[in-house]
Amino acid sequence: MSGGQSYYEFYRGSSIGTALTDALDELITQGDIPPQLAMRVLQQFDKSLTECLQKGVKNKTTVKGHLATYRLCDDVWTFVIKDPQFKMEGVGAGAETVTAPKIKIVACKSGDAPEGKKSGAKSNDFS
Amino acid sequence: MSGLALPTAYSSSSSAINKASEPLKDDERLDGEGEVLSRVPNKAISSVPEITSVQGLVPTLQNIVATVNLECRLDLKTIALHARNAEYNPKRFAAVVMRIRDPKTTALIFASGKMVVTGAKSEDDSRLASRKYARIIQKLGFDAKFAEFKIQNIVGSCDVKFPIRLEGLAFSHGAFSSYEPELFPGLIYRMMKPKVVLLIFVSGKIVLTGAKVREEIYMAFNQIYSVLVEFRKEA
Repeated sequence: MSGGQSYYEFYRGSSIGTALTDALDELITQGDIPPQLAMRVLQQFDKSLTECLQKGVKNKTTVKGHLATYRLCDDVWTFVIKDPQFKMEGVGAGAETVTAPKIKIVACKSGDAPEGKKSGAKSNDFS
Repeated sequence: MSGLALPTAYSSSSSAINKASEPLKDDERLDGEGEVLSRVPNKAISSVPEITSVQGLVPTLQNIVATVNLECRLDLKTIALHARNAEYNPKRFAAVVMRIRDPKTTALIFASGKMVVTGAKSEDDSRLASRKYARIIQKLGFDAKFAEFKIQNIVGSCDVKFPIRLEGLAFSHGAFSSYEPELFPGLIYRMMKPKVVLLIFVSGKIVLTGAKVREEIYMAFNQIYSVLVEFRKEA
């Protein structure tokens, strides 16, 4: 990948990632950009989002719920949590609680900190 | 629609991430729990033997360790990737660690097809759990059998509800006892017949281990009980 270092591609599955993918898709179909450029954009997206989440996000949140299943394979932890409650850290309107029937947490080893964990969360049916 | 609409179309990352990134399904097909274990006939050996108790005290079984041979080479990565509640970290341990909730147990599954099942509280649970693990492996497409099931260890515990003079016990039963409070607060009593090891604590709590059948636990407890009464600590 670009710059020698490779980044996880799972943020492409997030809502912002799918929006970008759709937009690029449209541009390719219309013949406005070549597919190679779209690839390059997505690679940059992987890199930028990873860096943003590492450096830019200072907020914390706690998750509580029932661990339905877990898995560890190839240094990837997967957790399926039923009835999770996300408590966002903050004051006033910032301290909101979000619930969902079921979520999946995918946690991968971060590239620059072998012991640290970086995670991408995917969820179904956020209410 | 071009392939771009699918985010995974570009994905070159490892298969575990791909698998992990799959959307949530309500019903994954691999779940041995609550499964009727039909392929292997159930021999239905009930193991509730006669309980010989002293003073109405019966040791509680706390853990049973059993081994099974599935008689089939296993690809551990496939198992870790497709079964639920599995951990596989070959850098640290050469087996898949898998758990089920009922009976609440843990299995170590090796590539050779051998399996160790721990945590069951009864022989029947241990066997049932082992079958459930074998069934999970079968459902993943392996030709797993259920051979050489053997209970390797039974651990029980009991509380005689009176304090014990461990020094006195260690002194008069020197051949069987090892009591070094600086190393471990309990007295280690190696009974010869039945061949069971007992950990005896001042509090009167006893742990019995090393038995292959539960009768050995009961027998060992009954034998030690009369000795313990002799070394009862007067408050």
